[in-house]
Parts: sequence; C-alpha cells; structure tokens
Amino acid sequence: MNDLDLKKLNVADRLIREIGAEFGLDFMEQEFDVIPARKMLEILAYRLPVNYSHWSFGRDYEIERTKYQHGFGVPYEVVFNSDPARAYLMETNPLPVQVLVMAHVYAHNDFMKNNKHFQITRRDMITSASEASQRFRRYEEDYGREAVEKLIDAGMAIEWNIDPEELIRPETEAETRDRLYGWSGKLPAEGSFDDMLPKKKSVSLEEKRKLRRKTPPEPTMDILKYVIENSPLLSFEWQKDVLSTIRGQALYFLPYRRTKIMNEGWATFWHEKIMNRLFAEGFLSADEHGYYNLYNSRVKAHSPRTINPYLLGSALFNNIEMRWNTGRFGPLYESCSDAEEKENWDLHLGKGREKIMEVRRTHMDWFFIDEFLTREVVDELELYVYQEADRGSHIELKVKETDWKKIKQLMVQSLMNWGIPRILVMDGNYRNSSQLYLKHEFEGMPLDDEYCKKTLQHIYSLWGRPVYLETFNPETSRCVVYSVDQDGAPRVLRDE
Amino acid sequence: MGVLKPDYDSISRGATDAARHREKIKEAIKRNLPEIISDEAIITRSGDQMVRVPVRGIKSYRFIHRYRDGIQGGFGSGESEEGKVIGKRPKPGNGRPGKPGEEPGVDYLETEIELAELVEMMLDDIGLPNLQRKEIVEAVVTRGWKQDSIEKHGILPRLEKKRTIKEAIKRMEVLVQNLMLRSAREEDECRAALEEADGDFDEALARLLSGSNRQPAAEHGRISGSGGLRIESSDLRFRTIKEDTEYESNAVVIAMMDVSGSMDTMKKYLARSFYFWMTSFLRVIYKRVEIRFIAHTTEARLVDEHQFLHQGESGGTSCYSAYELATNLIDTEYPTRKWNVYPFHFSDGEDWDVDRTVSSLERMLDRGVANFGYGEIQAEHSSSVLMEAYRKKIGLEADRFDNFSFFRGSRGISPVLGVIIRGKPDIYPALRVFLHSGNPGGRG
Repeated sequence: MNDLDLKKLNVADRLIREIGAEFGLDFMEQEFDVIPARKMLEILAYRLPVNYSHWSFGRDYEIERTKYQHGFGVPYEVVFNSDPARAYLMETNPLPVQVLVMAHVYAHNDFMKNNKHFQITRRDMITSASEASQRFRRYEEDYGREAVEKLIDAGMAIEWNIDPEELIRPETEAETRDRLYGWSGKLPAEGSFDDMLPKKKSVSLEEKRKLRRKTPPEPTMDILKYVIENSPLLSFEWQKDVLSTIRGQALYFLPYRRTKIMNEGWATFWHEKIMNRLFAEGFLSADEHGYYNLYNSRVKAHSPRTINPYLLGSALFNNIEMRWNTGRFGPLYESCSDAEEKENWDLHLGKGREKIMEVRRTHMDWFFIDEFLTREVVDELELYVYQEADRGSHIELKVKETDWKKIKQLMVQSLMNWGIPRILVMDGNYRNSSQLYLKHEFEGMPLDDEYCKKTLQHIYSLWGRPVYLETFNPETSRCVVYSVDQDGAPRVLRDE
Repeated sequence: MGVLKPDYDSISRGATDAARHREKIKEAIKRNLPEIISDEAIITRSGDQMVRVPVRGIKSYRFIHRYRDGIQGGFGSGESEEGKVIGKRPKPGNGRPGKPGEEPGVDYLETEIELAELVEMMLDDIGLPNLQRKEIVEAVVTRGWKQDSIEKHGILPRLEKKRTIKEAIKRMEVLVQNLMLRSAREEDECRAALEEADGDFDEALARLLSGSNRQPAAEHGRISGSGGLRIESSDLRFRTIKEDTEYESNAVVIAMMDVSGSMDTMKKYLARSFYFWMTSFLRVIYKRVEIRFIAHTTEARLVDEHQFLHQGESGGTSCYSAYELATNLIDTEYPTRKWNVYPFHFSDGEDWDVDRTVSSLERMLDRGVANFGYGEIQAEHSSSVLMEAYRKKIGLEADRFDNFSFFRGSRGISPVLGVIIRGKPDIYPALRVFLHSGNPGGRG
C-alpha cells in the first residue's frame, strides 16, 4: 500500500465519520492501523494485538492461516473497544474492501460506545494484554514454561465461568454477608422500597457464627474468581496474576459474546447505508461499488450449518425499523386477522430510526431474539433447525424444524447465559475439609460428559482438594455427581 | 487519529505457538499409541502414506452442553424444507462419538500424520536408539568374479596384452623424443638408431652422436612397425580379479494364519494389524520388504491379502502344513542368503499333530530365518496346546518386557518369540516385544 492509497483511506475516514454523524451515529475517536496479513491472522487467533503465549492460540493461528490460504475471501475486520477505538485493515485488501471494513468498523464503534453491556468493561485492554505478555514471559523464565502452560490451560477451562454482574456492583465477601444477613446496619436508602421487603429474621449467635463460616456466603457463578480468592493450593502471586489476567480478558470479551448478532447486524445495517452514500457522492466509482457489492454479498451469505450473525442481525434491524416506521407492533396489529390489512398496515409513525437506536443501547442477543425475531424474518431468511443423524458410515444433517416459534424458542435457549451451562460454586468447604462443591443449574440441556470430566480435572489442578459437580441426567431423571480426587481420575457418583 | 501504517515487529508469535501446538499433538499421539495402532481405519487404509489418527487431549476443555446450542444439530438459513438433507460429515474414526465443536479449534479431533512418522514414534517409545535403527541392514551376496584393477605384477595368464603394448609404445616415444633433443637429429634417424641399439637409449645416443648409425631408407619415409617395438618388463600389465558381490537389503514377512472355523473375525483382525505394523516397521530397516500370505487349515495355500483376511474355512488345524509351505517358499523364492525372512504364525493354539508341527518348525528355523514369531490368540475357552509344546520342545523361556510377558528362544541359538494376545490392548505390547527383541536393530 502506497502513500496515495493511505491518503485516500484518510479521506474515506473523514467522509464516513461525517456521513455516520448525519445518520445519527455517535462515535468514539477511531484509529485504523494498516497491517500485513500475518499480523491480522495473529490478532484473530490471539484475540488481542499482543497477547500472552499459549498453544491454543497457536492452534487457532494455524486454523486462521489455513482458512486464509484457501481464500475464503471474506474481508477481515477487527475492532477493539478501547478509547480511542482501534481497528485493523489488512494491507492486501483492495480499496473498496478497505472502505467497506472502515464503514463497518465505525458502526461497531457507535455500538460499543452506546450499548449498555459495553459500558462496564475496561478500555485499556490492548495495553494491559501487552503488559501481561511481558509478565507471563518472565514467569516462564522463573517458574518454567510447563508450569505456566498448565496454569493457563486450567484457567482457560473456566474462563467463561464468570459473572458480569460483578463489574456492575462489585462487592467484597464481607459486604455480601452483611447484605445477606442484614448486618450492614445501613438504613434503607431514601425513597427505596426496602422497608416493604419481609423483615430479616433475627438469628442466634450460634447460627451467625455458622453463617460466618459459610463460603461462599451465597452461591456464585464466578468460579474463576472464587478459585483465585479461595483456593487452598494457589499460594503465589504470579499464579493469581495469570488467572486474574485470563478472567480480566474474559470479562472484556463477554459483551462481544453476548451481542454478536446485534453488533454484527448493526455494523452491516449501517455499512450498507454508508457505502451507498459514498457511491452516490462519487467517492466510489461504479466499478468499486460493484466490487463492494460482491464482497457484501459474501458477508451476508446464507450459511447452511450455522447462523450468520451479519445476515440475521441486519435483517432484524431492517425489520424493526420498518415495523416502527409503519406501526406494525402492539396488540392492535397483533390481533388483526385480515391478511390484506396487515400487509398494507401503515400508521406513518416514522419511529423506526429512533427504535433501532434505542434497541442498540439496551439489548443483548438473548433479549433481542426473544423480542424481535418475527415470522417475517424467519421466512425471509428461511431459517431452520437441523438435526444430526447417524447413518452408519457418516452423519447426516437434516432439516428438522421450520416452524418460526419453535426456532425462536430454541435460539433463545441457546443464547441464555452466553451459551454456556450455568454452574455455581455452592460450597468451598464441603465436608468441612476445603472440598469444592459445584452445581449445574439444569435448564433442559445436559452437560457434555467428556468435557465436563476434563474441566473438573483442570479445576482440581487449581484447587488441590476434591472437586464435585452436581448435575441432572434427563435420561434417567436422576441427579449425577462427578468427582475428581487426588488420583486425578474423574468418577461418577450417582444419587449422592 | 485516522489511518496509519505502523511498523510491526517481525517476530511471529503465531508460528512459535503453532509449533508448540504441533508438539502437543505429537505428545498426544504418543500417549495414545496403543489405541491408535489398533485403530482399524489405519490398517485398512488404501495405499496412502498419510494416516488420520484421532487425537485427544489437545482440545480446549470447558463446561459445554452435550449438544451445541442445546440441540443435536444447529441452526442454518437458506432454501430449506422440512426433511431436506443439507449435508453430511464423516464420522470420526474408531467409532468414537463425534462432537461438533463450540468453536473452530475444537473440531481438531483428528489429525493427519505420515505413517513413517508414526513408526518413528513407536520406535522412540520402545527406546531403540537412533543409530542402531538408522543403519539399513545389508547383506553381501556373491555373484561370481569380476575384474577389479590393472597392476604391474601378476601371473602370465592374466597378462593384459593391449595395455602392455600401449605402455611399450608410450615408453618408446618418450625415448625417441629424448634422442631428438639430445642429438639434434631428425625423428626418423633417432627411431632407427634406437632400433639398431635394441632399445638401449645410451647406445642409441652414442651412435647418433658418433655418426655411426644407419641412415633410414628414404623411400620408406619412416621406419617403424612391430619389429621396432620392444617390450620390457616394466611395460607388462596384469589384470587382477575379485569376487563379484552385491549388497542386498531385502526382507520378507511370511504371514501364516490358521483360518479354520475357530479363528473368528476379531482374531483375524488382531493378526492382520500385527502384520501391518511389522511390515511397516521392517520398511524402516530394509530397502525392500515383501509380505506373503499363507492360510491354513489342515492344508496350507498361498493366498492374497483379501483371501487371507476374509476367507474362513471349516476343517481342522494342522500347523505343519503352513510351515512346510513356508520352508518351500524360502527355498524357492526367498533364499536366506539374499533375504531376511520373518515368518509369523498366528493361531488360536489348536493343532492336530503337534510333533510333526514342531519338527517342521525346526526345519524352517534351520533355513536361517531372521526371526520366527508365534502369536497365540487366546479366547476364554480355547484349547491351546501349541505354545506349551513350543515351550517344552523348542525350549522357549518366559521373559517380560515392560510388564508384558512373552516367550523367547535361547539367545543367539533359536530366533523365536512367542506372545499370547487376548485382545486389542495386547497388540501394542506384543509389537513392542517383536520390535525390541526380534529385529536386527534391536537385538543385543
């Protein structure tokens, strides 16, 4: 890429900002770095521009490189929720693709600045990860590469077992106890309804002592945090640092994970509008616009075996905008049974733009799908649920469900709790001997047996005392308890 | 703000960690060698030098639902109607349940590896030092005699006439040139003088200087010819000869198996996987490796691989028939001076004429086979007599290798190894015994 191209991209940067602002988007400062392909693949694999070393990142790097070499031909875009927001452009991309990525990135920028789930995360993660990589390298020298690797393996196994609420209302353990047992002594805040809650029972001294020893004071889904703070085994600061770094990064990425469909949908919705304006204003030639269209169709391609968030998300925002422009919502519209009347329904509300701006502020995928996935969108995209069936020599994928309500219900279920099983730490002093007791809150979806056992082994390597996990087997309608003991071999204890 | 093109460090962290990942794959394969080498998919693969092996232990484990998205399948979009097949995917090897991953990395359930690399790993695992097995085993075979070199001394029958005359001419020409220089006479005169002096240089020179030499006849122009050539003893050249030998690096596996009714598919499979790995292994040591199949009941026949595996026959069991056919094969096609012969015999231990079997075996051993392996595949209620008979009559001693017991002939005297295989898990330990104790690289 030469200086002239760079100049043109800087013009595009200014234009996109102006057009976006006209559309009502609200940006943080934005920086773009033009980087070679290898660096882009590394960022995708390592999640951050510079991050600590781990074989799983190396594995993902090889996967990304293989995909790139086989020319999947989808433009790469990475943008970080930092301040200023930082995004990367792959230097080998042709100009229309660069401009497409920039327009797309600016919409992400708006989303991250305004979506409430992004507000709680730290905005210095790029620097922080880079510093962590230095520290980890030192730990490798001081304590051995194997030891660091093993610790990272274990930490990553429970990296998503965290609690985002933690960032909204951080609370020390003592504060939690006080809240739970009404020992805080604080008066209810002015105008709160606390006095309407049932009165806390008065507890005997004996009982208070027992409660004081209870750990955690209430069940917590932040297994990683609980382990860092309470493990009988982890005694060194460097160990806690490694695990805290992993947890910090997971918390940072959690909003991305919870808003994947919305975020990509939003960016696609807007890049289409911005690109069309750039063409209308003559910044892009007809050829370049044609080139863009080709790439855009790849971005929004149907994918038979998975949900394309770019496609589904942008279709949903388009649908919401249309519905709130025409007033196709609410009981009056819902209860209308005349197909023709519904077809031509238009109350000229013109509230579409306002509505999507609001939704991008308040929602995450789970509620987004629950509230806005309509029959029209399911039909338009021909969404379906397929099922895998063993056909002896191979596994066959077959469309099982096309009913929009059923699809919606399953999709909502799959998005709950950012797609992972909800597992709580119940007791960190089980059998009064520092054993760790976990419980899976069964919500209709059984755990994977192999993954479950291996993950428990990882937790055991962090905890150093027997670890238990209680779950439910829907096939036998029985409670199942897994345990990992000194010998490291997972066992299944039934009907514990 | 805006678009910048920064200089990035050239260190590729991705490549370094990717190397560590590959290292981990190898570790995982090594850990699972006993399972991998008994994997049917590898043995029955066709020709290809790459094999797919299941790799466990390098996935990113975490708590996940049994089925991605909570359904045994997933979501998709595009033209569809209920019941339409949108695709298929291969089942993971070895009948293990497949798992569509939560993220791309998790699909790394199987990896490709070269067969040769897998064999290397086995050798590493068994602990054969590099040097011993890198040396290709070669045998010297005599074909007759061939000319080796030309020497100045020898016996008359091997006089190399052409070379001797050449040497004489060469020497004469040098003398003539010298005479011309020293006497300042013409070439013809010098040549004639040398001839007159019977090849004596000093005398010819004296004659030329004193003018007492005979003038060459002008009409001849040049005096030369056979009469002028003198052969001295220093001109004589003799051929030497040596034995014509060749380096051969051949091995043949003679795979024998009882195919009578009592050998079921599982037993045959155990035998087959053993032969497969043994052959792959021998390819590391020998340049040329062949495998021949002998199926027997009461009679033995040479068969092809397919028949060997898939043809069952009813009838009794006489193992000597196989040994006699194998001995015959050795005599006619695989003489032990050119071939390293590895006869292997798998049976369930039944035999109708043990005495004749033992004597046939001894006759085969006398041919000088590299190693005879006997594998007895025992089921719960098999009536095995053969291993016992070999122990007593051939004098096999019980031995252990890494907790796997086996029987061996006395060191250096009878190259016999016997193993008892009860199921898939025994294949690898049995192979280890053969690789460790039954091959030229590992013996000693």
